[in-house]
Amino acid sequence: MRGFGDLESVIMQMVWDHDAPVTVRDLFGALSQDRVIAYTTVMSTMDNLHRKGWLSRVKDGKAYRYTATASREEYSARLMREALAGGGDAEAVLTHFVAEIGGEESQLLRDVVQKLARRRSE
Amino acid sequence: MSAALLMCLSAAAVGWGLPALLVPLTTSGMGARLGLTAWLTAMASVLTSLVLALQCLVSAALAGWSLLAEALCRSVAGRTCSPLVYRGAILELPLGAAALGGALTATALAWQYGRWLRRSRHRTRVHAEAALITGRALSSVGGTVVLDVAQPAAYCVPGRPPAIVLTTGALAVLDRTQLDAVIAHEKAHLAGCHHLLVAVTRGLATALPPVPLFRIGADEVARLTEMAADDTAARASGRPALLTALLAMGTGAAMPPAALAATAGNLTARVQRLMEPPSRAVRSRTWLALITLTVLIAAQPALLIRFAGA
Repeated sequence: MRGFGDLESVIMQMVWDHDAPVTVRDLFGALSQDRVIAYTTVMSTMDNLHRKGWLSRVKDGKAYRYTATASREEYSARLMREALAGGGDAEAVLTHFVAEIGGEESQLLRDVVQKLARRRSE
Repeated sequence: MSAALLMCLSAAAVGWGLPALLVPLTTSGMGARLGLTAWLTAMASVLTSLVLALQCLVSAALAGWSLLAEALCRSVAGRTCSPLVYRGAILELPLGAAALGGALTATALAWQYGRWLRRSRHRTRVHAEAALITGRALSSVGGTVVLDVAQPAAYCVPGRPPAIVLTTGALAVLDRTQLDAVIAHEKAHLAGCHHLLVAVTRGLATALPPVPLFRIGADEVARLTEMAADDTAARASGRPALLTALLAMGTGAAMPPAALAATAGNLTARVQRLMEPPSRAVRSRTWLALITLTVLIAAQPALLIRFAGA
């Protein structure tokens, strides 16, 4: 549990898993089943997500109906693009476990893997 | 004036000459932390030399200008143009121009560097936040999320809070202990504030691209932080788990730990140093050389200022 940040994630996951637009009440109903949470907390978190550009909303009577501005796949792909851009262009500082490797190096690795596989089968 | 020249020359010597000495010592990653210290000390030493040179230049120019002004006033008062004024003008004008140019360049570079650092920190935080919201939490490890991407990848992003990001592609090629090794590696990055070292040195390389020490140093620092994190991960999860995790992530194919027993020969530097740790003698020699070099470089600006001041 990381406080509000965690709740933002949980709410986005729920919005993505929902096909139709959702209201604060919908999510509050689902969330309060497995945690103690205030209606206003859900509302302000969704308001935050709207302000940050994750959710768009349309007024429906007295309530808002929220939808995600992009799918989870689109966000994942965007993050991956930024993460793999590497070097000087990407100003975000990420440290990869294994950085993108060049053709020659990846060939060397493949050779070793093949050698290993052969020795194992012998 | 001569002090400024001396400082500039020494900065140039370290900036252009040192990489040739340091790269062979740190490239194998023996004593990754010591190597990091050596590179960072060298960069700090060059920057200190340059700042001291600028300071000498500016104070020389200021002193010269007050002398010139004094001579000017006297000759105006006496209605004679003394040769002192001509000589002063010829000497002091270029000096003043150099000091002004140096100060302006330094300010511009420092501003550019600061802007790069701030932008990079902002982008990093935004990325961490987006990753934490988008990814599904890996329930067993806090702060670790999984993105639905086929390509195997694992990385960490500092932020508030920081995030360790894995792809479903990575989970597909890693077994439990390998995954632990990868997470231990990423946690070592976050605990060691490696992102800070990478950001600071990459920013210097961006602000001062022609100096090899900064250009090469940024790459070496990035590589050495990887090796330092490898050391931590190898201690936590064992060398075989880390090695097979590296191979699996590098090739995108699952690697059973049993395969490792037969590994030999050609691989990347990181794999190589994990597979064949150097002998104690080689290690001691490298450490000694690195420590000596680091101490010398660190002491250099202070020694020069003593020498030039005397």
